[in-house]
Amino acid sequence: MISCVEFIPAYSELFKYIEKKDGKAAVIEFWKYLSEKYLSDTLKKYVEEDGIKGCWKYWSHSLNEEAADFEMCVDEEQGVFKIDMIKCPSKSILMETKHIEPYRDYCEHCDWLYRLILEPLGYSYEVDMEECDKAKCRLTVRAPGK
Amino acid sequence: MFKDRIRRMASDNEYLHKDFHMALNNGLDFLEERYGPGAVVEYLRDFADTYHSVLKEDLLKRGLRAIKEYLEEIYAKEKSSIHISMNGDDELTAVVEKCPAVEHIRKNNNEPSKHYIETTRTVYKTICENTPYAFELMEYDKLSGKSKMRFFRR
Repeated sequence: MISCVEFIPAYSELFKYIEKKDGKAAVIEFWKYLSEKYLSDTLKKYVEEDGIKGCWKYWSHSLNEEAADFEMCVDEEQGVFKIDMIKCPSKSILMETKHIEPYRDYCEHCDWLYRLILEPLGYSYEVDMEECDKAKCRLTVRAPGK
Repeated sequence: MFKDRIRRMASDNEYLHKDFHMALNNGLDFLEERYGPGAVVEYLRDFADTYHSVLKEDLLKRGLRAIKEYLEEIYAKEKSSIHISMNGDDELTAVVEKCPAVEHIRKNNNEPSKHYIETTRTVYKTICENTPYAFELMEYDKLSGKSKMRFFRR
């Protein structure tokens, strides 16, 4: 068994393996595949059922279980959901695991996974990854028409 | 209208996101569907060689006690149990009655990958390569992930 506490290095190594075998385009194909398989019963379903509040429900669960250092807010009336990721647990693990080299474009997977769920539902999805080398990013989701 | 804000520090929560088991399972399915079963094994060998290089060094230095402590630690983190018995430093037998990964995957109405067994067989076999030890997966139940494993001196 690969423990879920060892998943992040396994995930980063998987991106590296796919890229070595078949190029970056294949890694993006994997992220598209994973977005559908992994998020259809959670993020997609929650947003279809509860609108912008579904984002709150999804990330409240995952970020708390991942022991992230973050600030998150939602305003249903304004149709806005935001995450200020102060220290991303996944990127931190990779940066702290000195004997492995993280996949070069590791942070990009989040953008593909979530955007592919939210944009087809009419939501806008913006992510600021300027400081992702410091395990920081900011994400904003806006409900349709907001 | 719902409105809320939260601030959480890493220290507020324990790191245990079992849904990652499903993401890894999806990854194995992707490799199998796109490149065939050989790719699953090849990827897991690469992963074990890289990520477990530290455990392998520890195995070379301290023998099977390193494997025992590693297994106890990950199963404790998963809040699951593993029963380990040792015969000096020549043999370690470990029994897992219920695999926490397979349990979580099934609980969420997903099917473990056809090659999920390789996350045990290939990974532990690779860790033992080029050491005085070897690994044997004595029993494995695909439904529950229940397993009996043996690490032994060659």
